[in-house]
Amino acid sequence: MNRHAKILEYALSSLLRRKYKNLGLVVVFSLVIAILSSVLFFTDSLRSEATAMLAAAPQLVVQRLSGGRHDLIPLAYGEKIRRIPGVGKVVPRYWGYYYDYLTRGNYTLLAVDQDRPDLQLLEGSLPTAVGECAIGEGVARAGMIGLGGYLVLADGRGQYAALKIRGIFSASSNLLTNDLVVMTREQLLQIFSQPADLATDLAVQVYNEAETALIAKKIKLLLPDARPITRGELIRTYEAVFNWRSGMVLTMFLGALVAFCILAWEKAAGLSAGEGREIGILKAIGWETGDILELKFWEGMAISLTSFLTGLLIGYVHVFFLGAVLLAPAIKGWSVIFPRFALNPDVSLYQILVMLVLTVVPYTACTIVPSWKAAITDPDIVMRG
Amino acid sequence: MPEPIIVTRGVSKIFNPGQPDEVVALNDVSLEIGQGLVTVIQGPSGSGKSTLLSLLGCMSRPSMGHILVGGKDVAKLPERFLTEIRRRTFGFIFQQFNLIRGITVLENVMLPLYPLDTPLTEIGRRAVSILDSLDILSKKDVKVQHLSGGEQQRVAIARALINEPRIILADEPTAHLDTRLSGELIDILQELNRNGKTIVIATHDPMVIEAPLVDTIVSMRDGTVQ
Repeated sequence: MNRHAKILEYALSSLLRRKYKNLGLVVVFSLVIAILSSVLFFTDSLRSEATAMLAAAPQLVVQRLSGGRHDLIPLAYGEKIRRIPGVGKVVPRYWGYYYDYLTRGNYTLLAVDQDRPDLQLLEGSLPTAVGECAIGEGVARAGMIGLGGYLVLADGRGQYAALKIRGIFSASSNLLTNDLVVMTREQLLQIFSQPADLATDLAVQVYNEAETALIAKKIKLLLPDARPITRGELIRTYEAVFNWRSGMVLTMFLGALVAFCILAWEKAAGLSAGEGREIGILKAIGWETGDILELKFWEGMAISLTSFLTGLLIGYVHVFFLGAVLLAPAIKGWSVIFPRFALNPDVSLYQILVMLVLTVVPYTACTIVPSWKAAITDPDIVMRG
Repeated sequence: MPEPIIVTRGVSKIFNPGQPDEVVALNDVSLEIGQGLVTVIQGPSGSGKSTLLSLLGCMSRPSMGHILVGGKDVAKLPERFLTEIRRRTFGFIFQQFNLIRGITVLENVMLPLYPLDTPLTEIGRRAVSILDSLDILSKKDVKVQHLSGGEQQRVAIARALINEPRIILADEPTAHLDTRLSGELIDILQELNRNGKTIVIATHDPMVIEAPLVDTIVSMRDGTVQ
C-alpha cells in the first residue's frame, strides 16, 4: 500500500471519528446539491422535450394579431401567402386550450384531418368522425378514462359533447402529447364555436430553409396584422422561458446556498481545538505539511463527493421518478391546471461537471485553506493552541 | 564527554516579537548534548525547558542563534527539511501524551510511518514488536482514551520509537504519572539508553533528576542556562 493510500485510509478513519458532525454536514450539503440538481435536471429535460417537439414544428407559423393579442386568422390570408415566391404549402391549423373544471386540467385541443407521423399512438387510432377523439396519457390519467371510454367537453354555448376515445397517445415527447385532445376539424369548430372560414393559425412551408426569415418579412409587409413566427424564434423563446424560470428558482435558492457556504466556511475555518492539536501532533511525529494537506484534501473530497453523489441521486429521483413535486409549481408555473407528465431522463455530463466544479471544489478549498494555515505553523505552537 | 550530537550557540526564542505581549522564552542559550548520554534539563515552570526542547527537536525555529544537529545547522532550514530531520532523528514523548483519541493503540503507534513508503504490514510488524517490548501488546486494539495514564505513556513511548530515532526527547514525562509508574518509565528510558539512544528529558521531577541513569544536568532559570 503506498503512502497516498495510507493517508486516504487515515482520512476516512478521521471522518468516522467525528461521524455525527460530518454526517450533519453531509446531510445539509446533499440537500443543497439535491435542490441544485433538481432545478438543472428539470429545466434541462423540459428544454430538451421542447426542442424535440419543436423539431417537428412548421418552419413558419403565421398568426393574426388583434389588439396586440393572438386572434383567429382568415383562411383567405393563406391564399395570399401561398402566392409569395418560395412558399410551398400553407396549411390552416385549428387548436385551442380547454380548461376542464372536473379534473382541473388544462387541455390542448387539436384538429387533425390527416395522419400525423409525429403523433404516435399508444393504442387505438386517430378520430375520423365527429364524436370521436384521441387523448394524451395525462388527459387519460387526469380524467381516469381509457380507450373506448368517453371524454365529456362543454362547448361555448354550454352544450356538452361526449367524445368516444379512439386512441391514446404515446410519444418520445410527453410534452407534446400529454395534455392533448385530438378530434376532427368539425368537432373542434363546434366546441370552440368557431366560424369555418377562420383558423387558429397557418403553418407555412418554405422551400429554402435559409429564406425563412425573408419570407416572414414579406408576409409582414403583405399582411400588416399578421405575426409570422419562425421555428428558430420559438426555440429561442422556450430557451429563454426555461432559463428565466430556472434562474428565478436558483435565485430564490441563493439564500440557502449562501447559508451553506457560511456553514462550510465556519466548519472549515473554525478548525476545532482538537483538530488543530491533531495537526500539531502529526507534524511533531514527522508528517510534512504536504501530508497534512493531502489528509485534509481526502477528508474534504470524501465529504463533498459523498454529498454530491447523494444529492445528485436525490435530485434525479425527485425529478424523473417523483415528477419534481417540489419544483414543478415554481418552474412550470401553471401546474395547478397542467396535467402531470413524466419527463424523459436527460442528463448532460456538462451539467454534472458544472455542478461538481461549483460545489465540490469550493468546499474542498474551504477545508484545505485553514488546515494549510495550521500546518505551516510550527508544531509546538499548534499544540500549545 | 562523547562527541556532541546537538549543539546550541547563542540561541534565543522570542514569542510575539515587537508586540505588547512579547515574551523572551530563551535568552542566549549555548549547550552541548553528548551522543549516547542521558541529559536532563531542569528548572521551575516557565524557565524555558519545554521551549528549548522543542527547538532541539526541530519543532520550532530559534529567533536568534544556531542549532547543530549531527553537525548540521538546522536553525534556518526550510520547514520541509526540518520535518525530515524530525522524522529521521527524533522521537518525542510529550507531557500530555498527545495521542490521537478515537483510534487504537496500534494505529497511534503506526501513525508516524504512514506518510512514508514503508508497507503497512511492515509498519504493523514493527509496531507490534515495540508494543511487546513495552509490555502493552495486549492493549493494541483498545482505543487510547480507554487506557490509564501509565498505559498511555507507554503508547506514546512506542510511537516515539517506531521510526527508530537516534535521539529521544521527553517533555515532563512523569508529570501525569504516580511514583510507581514514574519508576517504570525511568526503567524504560534506561533500557533505551543502554540500546544506544541519546535521551534529553525536560523535567522538574526530583525522581527523574536524581535517577542513576542521568549523565548530565542542565539547569535553567528565566530562559537562561545557569
